[in-house]
Amino acid sequence: MPPDGRPAPDSAETEASLLARAQAGDVGAFERLSGAYADRLFMLLVRLLGDRAEAEDVAQEVMVRAWRGIARFRGQSSDFTWLYRIAVNEANRALQKRARRPAGVSIGAGELELPAAPEEEPSRQAENSELRRALGQALAGLPPPLRTAIVLRDVEGLSTQEAAEIAGVGQAAFKSRLHQARLRVRAAIGDEALVSSGG
Amino acid sequence: MGMPGRTGDHEWSQRHLSHYVEGDLRPRARRRLDRHARGCADCGRGIRAMRALVYAMQGLDGLAGARAPATIFDRIRLAGPGPASSQNA
Repeated sequence: MPPDGRPAPDSAETEASLLARAQAGDVGAFERLSGAYADRLFMLLVRLLGDRAEAEDVAQEVMVRAWRGIARFRGQSSDFTWLYRIAVNEANRALQKRARRPAGVSIGAGELELPAAPEEEPSRQAENSELRRALGQALAGLPPPLRTAIVLRDVEGLSTQEAAEIAGVGQAAFKSRLHQARLRVRAAIGDEALVSSGG
Repeated sequence: MGMPGRTGDHEWSQRHLSHYVEGDLRPRARRRLDRHARGCADCGRGIRAMRALVYAMQGLDGLAGARAPATIFDRIRLAGPGPASSQNA
């Protein structure tokens, strides 16, 4: 069952029946099962990679890996957690590949900067747009393990247990990464800017 | 307790602001940070800043309209039979 705010497969079929059919080789069932999480998964990749085009490519690879591995998925974790874990692994693999390129392309802070919510007042939008830009730059400057931790916990709003499982580390190690990430982002943005953002 | 203790408390508090807002400090450690922050403008502001940071990060989730590309399943359609030919996921 997906946590609050996440879409469930949009049919009367249960996730269990879709999973059983997907594991038997029904690609349509797999698409419906994983398609329910595709938007969130894609945005996770954009945030981790900072590059929308690369995120599109990696998202396709995530689905291929999930499809090939679904027969061995035993449901110890939720299908959402399982897919997210594959996505984090693939994002890390892509970042390692990028780091090995001679002219390493740095992460694009602009891609991590997100549009203002439409219901915000214009003055608030301007302030928050500055803050979003600063947050995007600060996230882009984090080492991947720290970026993954803060994105999973604070942006995605996952529980520590869920986020640690997706990151592939124990909860104590995950918390250590999260706290380091927050301290670095705070230092990069500055207390005045954060406090005046009115959060 | 003299200045060395206060300095130690300050550095320790600054390092534990995220633990504090996350609720990860044991009661005794939380009281230590509370006691220090009451008399330290930097740490008081630091707590507010850390709370604002977490709040702002949560706000980044407002991704109205963000959509996965239509091509997301293209490769599995091309790949053909999947689960039977499984590899490590």
